Amino acid sequence: MKAFEYAAPTTVDAALKLLGGPNAAALAGGTDLLGRAKDYVTSPDRMVYVKEIKELDGITGDAKSGMTLGAATSLSEIVHHAGIREAYPALWQATSEIGSIQIRNMSTVGGNLLQRPRCWYFRAGFGLLGMKDGESLVRAGDNRYHAIFHTDGNALFVSPSSLAVALIALDASAKVRGPKGERTVKVEELYRVPKHEGESELTVEPGELLTQVTIPAAGKNGAYEARQKQAQDWPLVMSAVNLTMEGETISKARVVIYGVAPIPWRSEAAERVLVGKKFSPEVAAEAGTAAVEAARPLSMNAYKVPMTRAVVKRALIRAVQGKGYWEEA
Amino acid sequence: MTEQRPRDPGGLGGQSRRDFLRGSGVAAATAVLTGQATGVLDEAQAAEESAKVLSGTVEITLKVNGQERSCEVEPRSTLLDTLRNRLDVTGPKRVCDRGSCGACSTIVDGELVYSCTTLAVSCQGKTIETLESFETGEGSVPHAFHQNDGLMCGYCTPGFVTACKAYLDKHPNATEEEIRKGIDGNICRCGTYVGVLAAAKAAAQAKKGA
Amino acid sequence: MAEWPASPSVIGKRIPRLDGLLKASGKAKYPSDVHPKGLLFGAMLYSPHAHAKVKSIDTKAAEKLPGVKAVLVIAGPGTTLRYHGDDIAAVAAETEEQARDAIRAIKIEYEVLPHVVTEAQSMAEGAPVVFKGGNVKKGRSQTKGKPEDTMAGAAATIEATYTVPMITHVCLETHGLTVGMEGEKKAIAWASTQNVYGIAGDLAQALELDRGDVTVYTEFMGGGFGSKFNADVWGTTAAKLSKMAGGRPVKMFLDREQEHCAAGNRPSATAHIKMGADREGKIVSVIAEGHSTGGVGNGTNMILPYVYRGVPHYSVGQSNALTNRGGSRAMRAPNHPQSCILTEAAVDDLAEKLGMDPLEFRLKNLDPGSPITPIYQAEIPIGAELIGWREKRKPRGKTGTGPIRTGLGMALHTWGGGGNPGKQVSCTIHPDGSVDIKTATQDIGTGARTILAMIAAEMLGLQPTEINSLIGNSSYPPGQPSGGSTTTPTMAPPCYDAVTKARDALFKKVASAFNNARPEDLSLKQGQLWAGGEPVASWKEACRKLGTSPISVTGEFVEGLSSTGVGGCQFAEVSVDLETGEVKAKKIVAIQDSGLILDLLTWESQVYGGVIMGLNYGLFEEVVMDPTSGRMLNPDMEWYKLAGASDIPEIVVRAYSPPDEKGRQVIGVGEPPTISTAAAIGNAVSNAIGVRVTEWPMSPRNVLNALATASREGRS
Ligand SMILES: Cc1cc2nc3c(=O)[nH]c(=O)nc-3n(C[C@H](O)[C@H](O)[C@H](O)COP(=O)(O)OP(=O)(O)OC[C@H]3O[C@@H](n4cnc5c(N)ncnc54)[C@H](O)[C@@H]3O)c2cc1C
Ligand code: SF4
Ligand code: FES
Ligand code: FES
Repeated sequence: MKAFEYAAPTTVDAALKLLGGPNAAALAGGTDLLGRAKDYVTSPDRMVYVKEIKELDGITGDAKSGMTLGAATSLSEIVHHAGIREAYPALWQATSEIGSIQIRNMSTVGGNLLQRPRCWYFRAGFGLLGMKDGESLVRAGDNRYHAIFHTDGNALFVSPSSLAVALIALDASAKVRGPKGERTVKVEELYRVPKHEGESELTVEPGELLTQVTIPAAGKNGAYEARQKQAQDWPLVMSAVNLTMEGETISKARVVIYGVAPIPWRSEAAERVLVGKKFSPEVAAEAGTAAVEAARPLSMNAYKVPMTRAVVKRALIRAVQGKGYWEEA
Repeated sequence: MTEQRPRDPGGLGGQSRRDFLRGSGVAAATAVLTGQATGVLDEAQAAEESAKVLSGTVEITLKVNGQERSCEVEPRSTLLDTLRNRLDVTGPKRVCDRGSCGACSTIVDGELVYSCTTLAVSCQGKTIETLESFETGEGSVPHAFHQNDGLMCGYCTPGFVTACKAYLDKHPNATEEEIRKGIDGNICRCGTYVGVLAAAKAAAQAKKGA
Repeated sequence: MAEWPASPSVIGKRIPRLDGLLKASGKAKYPSDVHPKGLLFGAMLYSPHAHAKVKSIDTKAAEKLPGVKAVLVIAGPGTTLRYHGDDIAAVAAETEEQARDAIRAIKIEYEVLPHVVTEAQSMAEGAPVVFKGGNVKKGRSQTKGKPEDTMAGAAATIEATYTVPMITHVCLETHGLTVGMEGEKKAIAWASTQNVYGIAGDLAQALELDRGDVTVYTEFMGGGFGSKFNADVWGTTAAKLSKMAGGRPVKMFLDREQEHCAAGNRPSATAHIKMGADREGKIVSVIAEGHSTGGVGNGTNMILPYVYRGVPHYSVGQSNALTNRGGSRAMRAPNHPQSCILTEAAVDDLAEKLGMDPLEFRLKNLDPGSPITPIYQAEIPIGAELIGWREKRKPRGKTGTGPIRTGLGMALHTWGGGGNPGKQVSCTIHPDGSVDIKTATQDIGTGARTILAMIAAEMLGLQPTEINSLIGNSSYPPGQPSGGSTTTPTMAPPCYDAVTKARDALFKKVASAFNNARPEDLSLKQGQLWAGGEPVASWKEACRKLGTSPISVTGEFVEGLSSTGVGGCQFAEVSVDLETGEVKAKKIVAIQDSGLILDLLTWESQVYGGVIMGLNYGLFEEVVMDPTSGRMLNPDMEWYKLAGASDIPEIVVRAYSPPDEKGRQVIGVGEPPTISTAAAIGNAVSNAIGVRVTEWPMSPRNVLNALATASREGRS
């Protein structure tokens, strides 16, 4: 880790001032940033600690009018929040499966959303796209954990945030404050597919702070995750869904998938299958199948195709029916 | 071609610190902040103070296992390296150094954290507990680990003991399934989980009995 | 011949380890914890490249950095670096942060060379070579009888390629030591090692001192598993840095990345196996061709067929493909886990082909010439009962209709172990009644310290807590390096010998003080000295009669107390999610014979630990080498996956110990219980899903790939 300066402001204004210099970074739980700094993937000259800023902390609101999460709210607070568990099971399930107790105690909403990809080429110092001499190391190398969508480009990593997938399904928006003022964006707009090395996959600019996330009232929602280990592990594929029902019929559907693309992947194909239909496990299965129709896996990750199909189906069943057919065979 | 390891976009140099400070308009270039940043001061003053920038080496005071301990650190020094290298508090171990194994588990302000991924400077004014401060008598978590052989080489053990204690303190009625989840942030290579779970259950039982 | 007591009062009981509370309270000081006065922190610079030549190296900038006290180049200009993690240079500085900065300030020009990091790359036509002389080395090949002809006439045959990846030891305390000079002529070190006695010699050589001038301590150490027998480059380098820094102690422990890359691995193994059986279910022929890589070190020495050595016809060929990756080291039961997986997968597949219960098939094929066969015959029914083989097991693939299938699998293993002569233990009985047992061995987590105390307590009628079990010091009488499950069987006999001799000497000295008893009339039990059936004094009173001179005796290996050769069987029950490929272990049963068990509590821990290590091998672990960059892609504990608490199934452990087992004396149990777990898990997965997953570990990827291949081929 390169030496850096440190400050721990207690107001957003002070923090923005401190973040104004070149190569400064916000430090929240540090679970992503400090690892990257130790690996010299990111070497800020200054870290501005945001967890002492009271206005960034806490959960407010209710299920009817929506809820707001401060950016420095810890993931544990989400897991312990009965209202969230009740109103936003997708968020609750996704969050409670992130890392471990230690990780959830330390890490924050803002940090989770703005963490950088775990792609092992990126973390080994080959850049976000993992290119060497104009060739993609990822494409020719070991891409078992990489994307199955958007694979015609060079951004083959997968977006790392479990929280983003749930929040996008829930149609949440984020407030971002910077030297030029404040803007509100949809959580999905925090992400983009970088076109070249040097472009970030995040739209929050250096010097800006994510201050809060607001979730509107939600429909039937839930999440499902597939992973190798039961104990602390990353999802291989995860999906969060949110269905607005009119009577028995699905009037609006949001299906978002983790682990398949360089951005949290919104599956419009799956959503199209759902809208206008009565929910049934068969419809959920159809949506799962539709979700992977356009998948173009890399050399080592074709397994993610059947996995995604199942995960989307199960997230839908869980959202609507609670317990699923796969539990306790 | 001259190069370091490939993970080297930054290198040692970078922007000169003075330019940087001038740019950000912070005057107290070498301000050294000792002890608690907030608390005794009023709100406005606190906001002002807290914006002070630490750099180079700084003297800090940490409240470790009930004692005020002072030492010199850099802003980048982790809590773990500070405890181990500077304060001779070597219960917490460095194993992965990346927040994935739990060996460095420490309780800060009542919350279980990975001290390898926590900056020491951010812990000023907070209560830091390592397992050296735990009770070891009958009914305690360390005692239960000993009796149930929840350890072999013992290198992961401090992390497990700390995670178990932190979890049981908050969830005295935890089921075995819940205890497992409660300590899933820790890894043991010798494979002591059977003893660890027996120990956790025994400690939980003892607690209830007490 | 010496003999263990027939009705022991301490041996065989469940005794919590003596140092357990020290470890569980964080107060035990490991070699990476010690902080001698004037301590400097070391750091290693290692190769980022899989294969490169050092063109130039410039340490000037590093030397000028604040706090830097010594910089040492290990790989000077012209040196070839052969793997990611290969040593280049080292520094010692006042703080660890400074040491790491200094490493990065060393400027190196590399000439990057083409690499081979996978077996395929290494074995390809015209591949770049790791060492002069080519990459592929033929290993042990064996032919017996007429395998081809017999295969052609077999009633059923199978043919498949099975693969096990390379894994690493992942010692939680990384390799390293803290070492300093005391004046010009003496050195003192705290080393994380399995060989405290031997390391002193390594360091002495590096410092050009006599062995006796170097004292090494290993009070505690955080795991070795076969990889920590030598001081290694980093250890001797630390000693040299200390010398350069005026003798100030230097702490040098690898970071996790270098630990994974350079500090050892268990080699991979792949074998193409044909196996044939006759109508009765007797394996008649095995034809196997295997290859493996252990990086720049040895590959797997595959024992094929494993366990079933009675097969009348076989031919086995194998080769080791050198790759640009750190070299292999012994790892818990070297060669056996791989051999077990390869053989037991084929055996299972052949039983399936014949439509036979794989348990019956195994019983039919045990080697009639092996002394372990009766042990297997006794163990297998016990294990089968405990896992519920008869009630629960369904034929392969006939496991229901839902997405979650459960399956059962089993595998057998064998191991040598046993004791060797040549090591010593001293026993001192002090006039105040305290007893010291000393030997230069170490406790790597097996409970060696406690076991020595138990033996002494047994022979002296005391409690283990009343014995000072002093180990982990190279100046003590030469002790056993902890390897091959030999520590206990090697150290128990000289301990027994020392204590018995010390006891007899005590009797001789004090007998006259007790009604003029004869030494032969005296005995010790329950903390008392007995004469002719009557307690006559407490232990302490008896010892007080020694006056001012303690008794000190050095014991040697004696015959009759230890032996070798064990067999075990394991059963696994797993559930597999056909849609997501996720595998969960539900239950594992391990039946293990291991002769006379000294401490039942730590014995069980060893077996549980072995099973869990095998579970990791079966479900999670693999080194991922990048064919493109040549680097290890998962040198961490995040993508290098190891089980956590929620991954641990119900584990049932049984010692196979009929009365005559004890007669086999002390054998040692460090390695055997880790051998067959991964094989049993793989077999259980195949049983559950109806398709053989030929590649370990049983990850969702490998499972889904196997299912996809099978459905493509119309097999499922
Ligand atoms: C072993 C392990 C397993 C994990 N498993 C999962 C998982 O399954 N799913 C998952 O989603 N994550 C997982 N994580 C990642 C973890 O959740 C993230 O590292 C964490 O959420 C990041 O939050 P933080 O507060 O620690 O962020 P930090 O590390 O402090 O910051 C992360 C990034 O966000 C920036 N940042 C932080 N806060 C703000 C803000 N308010 N405004 C602007 N920028 C900001 C920082 O500058 C930095 O670039 C895992 C991590 C580990 C180590
Ligand atoms: S034979 Fe066993 S104990 Fe040995 S070194 Fe080897 S792995 Fe270790
Ligand atoms: S050392 Fe901190 S989590 Fe592994
Ligand atoms: S006891 Fe050795 S790693 Fe857990």
